[in-house]
Amino acid sequence: MSDAILKVEGVIKNFGGFRAVGGPDGLTFNVPRGGFLGLIGPNGAGKSTTFNLVSGVLKPSEGRVVLEDKDLSDCKASDIAGLGLARTFQTPRAFPSLTVLENVMVGVSHTNEGPFSAMLGNWRQSDGELREKAQAALAKVGLHGHEDDEVGNLSGGELRMLEVARQLVREPKVFLLDEPTAGVDPTLQQKLASLLADLHAAGTTLIVVEHNLAFLLNLADRVVVLQNGALLAEGAPDEIRRNPDVVAAYLGADHEA
Amino acid sequence: MTLFLQFLLTGIVTGCFLVLATIGFSFTRRVEGFLNIAHAELLGVSAFTTWGLNKLAGWHILPSAAVGIIVTAFLGLAIGRIVYDPIRRFGPAVLLITSVGVSYAIGGVIDAVIGTGIRTLDIPLATSYRFWGLRITDYQLLVVALAIVASGSLALFLNKTKTGLAIRAISVNPELAASRGIDVQKTSRATWLISSGLAGLAGVMLSVIATLSTDIAFHQILQILAVAILAGLGSLYAVILSGLIVGIAMDVSVFWIPAGYRPLIAFAVVILVLLVRPQGLAGSKSS
Amino acid sequence: MIQSLLLSTLMFGALFSVLSISLNLQYARGGMINFGTVAYFAAGAYAYAIFTQEPPSGLDQYAFGFDLPWWAGFLAAGVAATLFALITGWPTLRLRGEYLALTTFAFAEVLHSFLLNERRIGNGSVGLANVERPDLSFFGLDEQIGYAVAACVLMLVTAWLFNRLLASPYGRLVDATRDDETAAEAVGKDTTRTRLQVFVISAIPIGFAGALYAMITTLVSPALFTAEITFFVWIALVLGGERTILGAIIGTMALVFFQELVRMIPFESVRSAQIAASVEEVLTGVLFIIVLRWQPWEKMKRRKGA
Repeated sequence: MSDAILKVEGVIKNFGGFRAVGGPDGLTFNVPRGGFLGLIGPNGAGKSTTFNLVSGVLKPSEGRVVLEDKDLSDCKASDIAGLGLARTFQTPRAFPSLTVLENVMVGVSHTNEGPFSAMLGNWRQSDGELREKAQAALAKVGLHGHEDDEVGNLSGGELRMLEVARQLVREPKVFLLDEPTAGVDPTLQQKLASLLADLHAAGTTLIVVEHNLAFLLNLADRVVVLQNGALLAEGAPDEIRRNPDVVAAYLGADHEA
Repeated sequence: MTLFLQFLLTGIVTGCFLVLATIGFSFTRRVEGFLNIAHAELLGVSAFTTWGLNKLAGWHILPSAAVGIIVTAFLGLAIGRIVYDPIRRFGPAVLLITSVGVSYAIGGVIDAVIGTGIRTLDIPLATSYRFWGLRITDYQLLVVALAIVASGSLALFLNKTKTGLAIRAISVNPELAASRGIDVQKTSRATWLISSGLAGLAGVMLSVIATLSTDIAFHQILQILAVAILAGLGSLYAVILSGLIVGIAMDVSVFWIPAGYRPLIAFAVVILVLLVRPQGLAGSKSS
Repeated sequence: MIQSLLLSTLMFGALFSVLSISLNLQYARGGMINFGTVAYFAAGAYAYAIFTQEPPSGLDQYAFGFDLPWWAGFLAAGVAATLFALITGWPTLRLRGEYLALTTFAFAEVLHSFLLNERRIGNGSVGLANVERPDLSFFGLDEQIGYAVAACVLMLVTAWLFNRLLASPYGRLVDATRDDETAAEAVGKDTTRTRLQVFVISAIPIGFAGALYAMITTLVSPALFTAEITFFVWIALVLGGERTILGAIIGTMALVFFQELVRMIPFESVRSAQIAASVEEVLTGVLFIIVLRWQPWEKMKRRKGA
């Protein structure tokens, strides 16, 4: 695993006195370039917190995250996104005062995005090109025909897909998806599966948090299992399926919930 | 040194007055969830009602003050019901901006009725007491006493009575409180009566210790805002502490810098505090 | 009579529209409540006066007078407003909602207090009189008409630039930043920078308007720049529907017209004039409450007519 694009090194996150991520020694795992990592674990295992720590929404209490040899400790969330890391949120986020298409277009950066070039420069042509890119991304997630809809009229599943499209237009190197299938109907789920497979084939590094194991274990080439914020197991999907610890912890907790 | 101590003492009196003027404002903020800029105008309403009854109608100061406070309390309740309740769903920003409109309306009425000029109450001249070379008047002592009594009774009310506890429950979580069977209408009525009544009391005090002119409310709102921001727009104790800090800072500053800067000191304190602690003095507990 | 009413409405309406258009950008699109609008206006007016007036002599208490031509003073007004916006915006923009409102209000009061007490800036409460103004007879125009035209030009340029700004990709960024900062940052947008940019950019035309105001009144003094101006612009913005540039202009024009109309009424005594002014204040307040209560413009789409 020498060519790791993303390294999580001894990361600990405390909220007050409660350790949400890290366990006793801190959380450590690597994601190889072009890999497809599944991140699973029972509710409250710290999966979404881990995403927040990697994407800079939260800062680790201890340890560090490294993206392509760059230490992210002093980076703002927007800087990290600018380095080619994309993420979706567990509760999908959208910009309600923009249309569906504009929501995606916010994702693409403009060459001349400053306020003064907005007032005085010519952005119409390049904006037209962005529009086409955004439309293509919407088509990929099955939202074509919804371009001019209000975001408020989308279903929960469609909002999730919108968020995927917004990150997709940025052509990220590393793409973190937080429960992408939750609330998404089976047709769109299939679309999503083939989209993720395509991205994987094209060399994008993927990290996916998912409760739908059938969906995830067919796609991922490696799985990390978290429990109480610590690493419980790591391995290929088949190993994980057979791992008695994982079965006990995961299924046990899910039955309770 | 004596001069410095005299400024300090006056600062404490100013602080106590600011506490009286701000607790109602801060109370509204906590329970109703927005900054009621028109709160200061209620001070004016109470001060001029008292003045009208005392000076024009020739009443004794005590009944005049009592009527002034009661009128103000019910006016505050009426405004809360008629103006603020229907727009609560638009959120605190719209409520805040609306209260500016309410200020205009009340301020305009006061201007039209009272007119320009300086007014004073028909009450005995203040008696000065001297000790260790310092001076304090009986009216200033009254302000201090009333500030203590008012904040003390508000604390008791909020902690010991059924309505008080209901108000606190609503200020923490309105939906939960409503689902637990707390009568939101009734507690909201109590809130408006109490906060406006406190504004009324502060207005009476203002008319006792100062001369009155119709632009009085505007000068008060600046200082009320300063104290409220400093207090973190929250707890009663923080309001008392910051009222004293602002009052003392304003009056003691006169020791070193020209008196014209006195109002500025309040805001300088506020800006400094917000830059260091964006949630105000009492903010750390909630975050 | 009617002509002078319309002329002064046009002149002051256009002038204050510059403020409400800027506030529209800050509040309706940027989501920032700025209760210190008057400060940028005052900064512009004072900067203009100081840069164009003669060096102090005789009884003057002010320390600086650069005796520069009017256009240099006009540029200085823009720079002064920009600087003041940077000074006040940089530390306060991490504050949200009402905290931002109160802190900007506090900054405006601090500036006001300095202008009042620090006589070296502009003679304290006396202010600076006989402010230089460009000679408009060159164009063969009446002074009043000339300045009304100048105010309209400033208003239209501001409206045009801000309209372009908001229709551009940057406008989307502004909307996105207001809607959801976390999501905007997740696509690589620096929301802190965006907020500061919007805050500063909307202060610049306010500074220019301040310079123009100083030319029109030929006087700058602290009494002209009180929080009433801030509230006036807020009321105008809300009256106009608070969401569009056109709405901001219409609201401002209507409010100025209303005030100028009341000012036209001849009064027998000082007292009746005073009552009229108070009634005007009450009506303004009530109108304001009613507009916010029923929000007749809320249903209109934000984009339409922007």
